[in-house]
Amino acid sequence: MTTATETIPSTPVSRRPAGTFLRLLKFTAARLFSLFVTVVIGVFLTILIANMGGYVDTIRRAEIREGIMVRVNSTNILDNLSAEDRLKRIEDMARLEEKRLGLDQPFMVRTVKYMSNALTLNLGRAQKMSSDSGSRTVRLIILERLAPTLILFGASNILLFAGSILIALNLSRNYGSFLDRVIVGLAPTSSAPGWFYGLFLIVLFAGVLRLLPFGGMVDAPPPPNRFDYFLSLLKHLVLPTVAIALSTLFLSTYNWRTFFLIFSSEDYVEMAKAKGLTSRDIERRYILRPTLPTIITNFALILIFLWTGAPILETVFNWPGLGRALFQAVGLFDIPVIVGSTVIFAYMLAITVFILDFVFALVDPRVKVGSGENRQ
Amino acid sequence: MNTTAQLLQIENLVLHFRTEKGSVQAVDDVNFELDFNRAVVILGESGCGKTSLSKALLRLLPRNVDRYSGKVFLQGMDVMSLEDEEFRQNIRWVEMSLVPQAAMNALNPVLKVGDQVAEPVMIHLGLSKTESLGLVYKMFQHVGVPADFVHRYPFELSGGMRQRVALAMALVTSPSLIVLDEPTSALDLLTQANIMNVLKRIKHELGTSFILITHDIATSSELADEVAIMYAGQIVETGDASDFFPAPLHPYSQMLMASVPRLRSDSDPIFITGQPPSLMNPPAGCRFAARCPYRFEKCAEEPPVFQKGKRKVKCWLHQ
Repeated sequence: MTTATETIPSTPVSRRPAGTFLRLLKFTAARLFSLFVTVVIGVFLTILIANMGGYVDTIRRAEIREGIMVRVNSTNILDNLSAEDRLKRIEDMARLEEKRLGLDQPFMVRTVKYMSNALTLNLGRAQKMSSDSGSRTVRLIILERLAPTLILFGASNILLFAGSILIALNLSRNYGSFLDRVIVGLAPTSSAPGWFYGLFLIVLFAGVLRLLPFGGMVDAPPPPNRFDYFLSLLKHLVLPTVAIALSTLFLSTYNWRTFFLIFSSEDYVEMAKAKGLTSRDIERRYILRPTLPTIITNFALILIFLWTGAPILETVFNWPGLGRALFQAVGLFDIPVIVGSTVIFAYMLAITVFILDFVFALVDPRVKVGSGENRQ
Repeated sequence: MNTTAQLLQIENLVLHFRTEKGSVQAVDDVNFELDFNRAVVILGESGCGKTSLSKALLRLLPRNVDRYSGKVFLQGMDVMSLEDEEFRQNIRWVEMSLVPQAAMNALNPVLKVGDQVAEPVMIHLGLSKTESLGLVYKMFQHVGVPADFVHRYPFELSGGMRQRVALAMALVTSPSLIVLDEPTSALDLLTQANIMNVLKRIKHELGTSFILITHDIATSSELADEVAIMYAGQIVETGDASDFFPAPLHPYSQMLMASVPRLRSDSDPIFITGQPPSLMNPPAGCRFAARCPYRFEKCAEEPPVFQKGKRKVKCWLHQ
């Protein structure tokens, strides 16, 4: 007996149709362009806001005049001039100083020029802040602060992410258990930010128990030997990491546990069970693998999200990172540093999103980069 | 203890679920037998416990199981007494496989179908991936799927093809029994006929036994050697298909058969008034009594199973 469909010729399917490379190129270019536009808009708005729409210029002009006035009044060089001439001289000196700083140009022109410099990472010189090595170059200040931020948030994020996924998988297996109910009950602890818990942790573990340092990244003076330096770094990492964990772990575990519960009731998971797969294989190939795109996205977004809490958390723990640098810069109206940090944040975000697009296509066969076909 | 060495023997199988409102008696005291190379069709309305029966057989239980008991013998082996791990290693896909309801969703969207079909071979027969894929090619031929589909993902296949892949998956380890849970309900008529033909051919060529769970009476009559009618969690009638289809015994079976529309006949298809009883607290006595036109005093007591030649029926009318 034959069936009708058996006569279907088994046409060899080319997995890589012609023009894929071109399509990929087009997609990449379009995506890069749109992300770049987003970054430009973000940076432009930051410059506008950091300058208070031009009001900071007024403050700086007044500062210049006041500075010159003080200098003139403290010497007697111009004492023989008439009051009118003296004012004129002061005004000339102020003009010169404004010209030197570029304040004579219209605000918008300067903003656009400034933005194009910022976007090419030509971040200029800080007005008030300096790097630990004494340099005023914004790029140096930021690079110096970037590493500690990456250490703190990178370490705690990876730890938290892996932890919450593993615990969540376990909970979804034993859902309704005592531990499950405890975690669900603790989920509202995430309504307070990390620095909030940080304050209590510092009081308890540094202030009362004197087990851990109050803040900073390493002991002062820094241990000369590499191993001791590392140990000291770990010791300083404990409290901020625990603070971040307290503010995110339970909610994120709760989220993932519910997510895995939903996906473990899919038909294909039951089918895998019926096929006699071990529960380890089922978890790996039938629960984690199909949900990998979501897990990766979440990982990347959590990283970005945690950074937004960096300024306060780093300030509370006196952590020499980018977040604290931004906090200080805001307090000092140091616009180049504010803009510089924003540019770095914006670029990191754009790069993350861009990489995500490609990782998605890699891990999910249903996503085909730049293709309009094969959608079902 | 079992010397008849039937392929499958189910005795007093019970599966109750716990819900907030009470216990749902999805499968209640089910008995039946099936021999090698035979196909039994289990017919019944939606919600009468057909799918729960298939789950009970493969021990695919949800968390809220209230009661799960009875005896199931597969070639004389008491499978209900096996530990979960033994059951996984020795029964699932070795002795018994499943083509699930909505086989369309039974494939993992991110794994190639060939790999998914090969999985049980690698686990249960211990073959390498290449050897397993060789077997998969063979099975794809059996069910009419082009061989190069092994490298495709489920979303690249049509519904009928996915159904065939699910069928190939059930066949690939050559189990002696395959449970088909409404394998054709989501497909168009041509594809349905095709799949039924494939099943018939497989039964003929490979000697597999089938439990076909469906409410599609017309399509299933093609394949059936035996028929079992299920109502409200119980099997109310069993018998050979050749005896059953011309003259069903149980009033419910008669009305179920009469509900199939017929060509060139003036009589309207009959429908059964009322609804099947809630499985939460089924009525005492005969569960069909409330809807039965032949109801009499006896029906207040639960009817035993009466033997009528080779046929069995659970109704006082056939005392």
